Amino acid sequence: MTTETLCSHCQLPIGRLSHRREVNGSDHWFCCYGCCLAYQVHHGSGEEPEAAALLIRLGVGGFLAMNIMLFSLLLYGDAFPGADAISGGDAWLSAAVPWVLWGLATSLLVVLGGPFLRGAWASALDGRLTADSLVSLGTLAAYLYSAWQVLQGSSHVYFDTVTMVLVLFTLGRYLEAQGRVRAVRSLAPMLAAERAEVRVINEGGESIRTVDQVRPGDMLRICAGERIAVDGQVVEGWSECDESILTGQPEPQPKAPGDPVHAGSLNGNGQLSVRASVRGDQTRWIRISRLVREALGRKPRVGDALDRAASYFLPFVLVLAVATVWFWASRGNFDQALLAGLSVLVVACPCALGLAAPLASAMGIGQAAQRGVLIRGAGVLEKLGRLKGIAFDKTGTLTRGEFRPVSVTVDGADEAGVLRYAQALASGSAHPVARAVASRAARSGFQAWSAQGLRVHPGGGVTGRIEGIPCAIGSRAFMAQLGWPVPPKLIPNAAQDGCSLVYVGWLGRVRGRIDLTDSPRMESRQVISALIARGLQVQLLSGDRPGPVGALAADLGISGWHAGLTPETKAAIIGGWARRLGPVAMVGDGLNDGLVLAAAPLGIAVGSGTDLAKESADVILPDDGLAALPWVLELAGQVHRSIQINVFWAFGYNAGALALAAAGLLQPVLAAALMAGSSLLVLVRTLNAQVDPAVVPTPPKPLAAARAALLPNTKKAAA
Amino acid sequence: MTSHYLVIFLAGLAGSMHCVGMCGGFACVLGSDRRGRLATLGRHLIYNLGRVTSYCFLGAIVGYLGLLLVGHGGEDTWASLMQRSLAVLSGMLMLYVGLQFLGLMRRPALQLPGVESLADALRQLTKSPAAGAPLALGVLNGLLPCPLVYAFVAHAAGSGGPLPGLLVMAAFGLGTFPAMLMMGGVGLWVRARSGLASVGPLNTHAASAPAGRHLFRAGWRQQGVRIAGALIVLLGVITFARGVLPMSAHLHGMGMGL
Repeated sequence: MTTETLCSHCQLPIGRLSHRREVNGSDHWFCCYGCCLAYQVHHGSGEEPEAAALLIRLGVGGFLAMNIMLFSLLLYGDAFPGADAISGGDAWLSAAVPWVLWGLATSLLVVLGGPFLRGAWASALDGRLTADSLVSLGTLAAYLYSAWQVLQGSSHVYFDTVTMVLVLFTLGRYLEAQGRVRAVRSLAPMLAAERAEVRVINEGGESIRTVDQVRPGDMLRICAGERIAVDGQVVEGWSECDESILTGQPEPQPKAPGDPVHAGSLNGNGQLSVRASVRGDQTRWIRISRLVREALGRKPRVGDALDRAASYFLPFVLVLAVATVWFWASRGNFDQALLAGLSVLVVACPCALGLAAPLASAMGIGQAAQRGVLIRGAGVLEKLGRLKGIAFDKTGTLTRGEFRPVSVTVDGADEAGVLRYAQALASGSAHPVARAVASRAARSGFQAWSAQGLRVHPGGGVTGRIEGIPCAIGSRAFMAQLGWPVPPKLIPNAAQDGCSLVYVGWLGRVRGRIDLTDSPRMESRQVISALIARGLQVQLLSGDRPGPVGALAADLGISGWHAGLTPETKAAIIGGWARRLGPVAMVGDGLNDGLVLAAAPLGIAVGSGTDLAKESADVILPDDGLAALPWVLELAGQVHRSIQINVFWAFGYNAGALALAAAGLLQPVLAAALMAGSSLLVLVRTLNAQVDPAVVPTPPKPLAAARAALLPNTKKAAA
Repeated sequence: MTSHYLVIFLAGLAGSMHCVGMCGGFACVLGSDRRGRLATLGRHLIYNLGRVTSYCFLGAIVGYLGLLLVGHGGEDTWASLMQRSLAVLSGMLMLYVGLQFLGLMRRPALQLPGVESLADALRQLTKSPAAGAPLALGVLNGLLPCPLVYAFVAHAAGSGGPLPGLLVMAAFGLGTFPAMLMMGGVGLWVRARSGLASVGPLNTHAASAPAGRHLFRAGWRQQGVRIAGALIVLLGVITFARGVLPMSAHLHGMGMGL
């Protein structure tokens, strides 16, 4: 016992009572669960003010509630009349308890009931009945009934029922809020877009300004690799800009003097001088960003299963209450009739549901998070469970977003020769197409030639000499520029419509054509067929040309596709589709998808996508996580079913209690027991019901790295 | 009967050497109130009130459940059998925990889920300036899993009703009061001495926890935990004996004051 291990938190020897856990990447030993927890409280980070406020409310409410329950239990246990522990044990004590309870319950109604009453009032003004209405009605009825009883000098009070309803529903709200906290969209990239700094060229040299100070006509310098922050026209310089996040076209677009550049696109290797054509705060990118934010702000709170169930259940309860009053009143005693009617309202509220539905959702969200899938809130999960259609973006989502040569066509030369020339020339350029060609040729495994006098012709191709033979690689226009004819055999037909084409020639003649395409991801086909098998309608929406889009759709078996779309038209198509079909989702990854992901009823971002896409999505799949999609849908479906069954059970349980109440047989202790019993039943059901769905042939593995990337505030999971 | 609660109080007092390590951290983080010493004292009293209320609630509810199970006593065989089984069960639970505290028994390393989100939640409370935060922290703190609390909850279950159950837990909770209040005070005192008072209620744990640990040396605390273990074993044996010994002996035992 020379070197005894100490508990990392309380510094007591842990002895043999070990409790090892990994915190912040290092091993710690704890003597108990509490120490482990306390240690993490002190050594963690993460601010969640919204959830904290609810938690304080819950804690204070819990204090009042526990006191109420405590005194109620003493009442039920008949503790006061004969208790020998309290000197005297007088009757005044048991007479005082209801008054104490009344006081506590009044505070509780203010602390915990306030939000529900306000919510019920607001929805009543809109003419709707929600779960808030149900809670408010039940608690108010129980409270008023009990207050009346206290005034009558009776101890027949339902304050503990009020307590249970309010505490359980508030706990449910807290679980929901915790989910929402994760869903808080910081929108940092978009705010950054508005505050981006640009180099403005003026007489004296350069000055740095924020983009919103840029006026039309200002000259700006854009360095290599920089994100362009203005819309304008190139005045000087040459580069290739990656506009895929705006247009969905994977090919970098050549930019020479006179060409337009767009804010949001990524500059390539050249330096550009650009004359701004619009004000810096009116660029298309910033307009899109604003639209995204507005769309997020407008997104209505998802009417959850409970609200819908409540809107059917409540009128029934009200009718039953009125009928009860009428029935008992017709038998004479009006006081008793009113009490029976009130007790109907008291037990109407299925408080088990207030907790069960959020719990089921929270568990589903937790399960998804373990697999690296981030789901923003319970409402999202619920909608996923009822999904009718799903639309995909093309580039980067269903495809890899990178080129692969698919075929080589030759005329008057052999394939190996064409590839050797191509490789030697392509090594002189960093263009993605050139890189793809070079890597394809390298796989053929022949010894590489080296070319002399390589000259890169921006936006066209590369020329050079190999062992004295002049040769060239580039676009068809470039070959025409060189004056080299393209033989008829190499002229593309409709089959090549979906491809990028590169021509290779030497000695004054084009001798081969390499077709490159942005190939679909391996898992795309499987995912699409799994979704179709689930009965979902699938669409392909892309900003790319019709050729590649149609080819991919045909390849993957997607019947509906639209090409050449702008983000705005994509959003419009999704909107129209949602109105016809019901809940639909959009899957995308680029900035061009940011708006449509935000505007769609459900936006699903692939994790490898841009920050903007992630910010505006409701569901974020892990990197290369498209394969997880069917699994996520199955999980959502399971949670949805679990909630529905719980709704059924809870309302069924309450129907039994309602019958007792209508018959005038309900006792406070019975109401409390029924409430606690149904809560327990539904909770146990929820905890048991959620097993891991294993429908996907290759379910995504727990991706610790992906999870850490998605949830920066989450500490490392336990070992 | 009173001496019975006194033993529980003492067990709480001794056992709070365990609490000093764990919950003391919470008390220290609560820190001082800007409005002065009285407000600070109030803050800590409120926190401890919340904690003890949770204990009392647990005691009352298990006491009531025990009562439901047993009925109001009486001499018929069914009630007597249930009463005895309950006493045996809770006695065994207490022995189990007590022996663990004495270091004579190994505790299973349970991996309970939800530590991260719970820790996140409690951290928000310790950092919040809101008036209700100490109360909320205390209430939740009182519901955290703790072997010491389990032992007395088991005892309360066999105590025969909501009121005795409540009193068992209240006695235990009051026993933990002095140490926990002191933890808050000691943390502040050390901070004042080291000139960190101006830091405010945030980020004070680093300064105060080692100080508290210094005062409540691990050696002392280990002794305290052992004493608590011994007292729990004593109470456990008595509870257990109530279940197995003949009824007459049981009544005599009660007459002895325990």
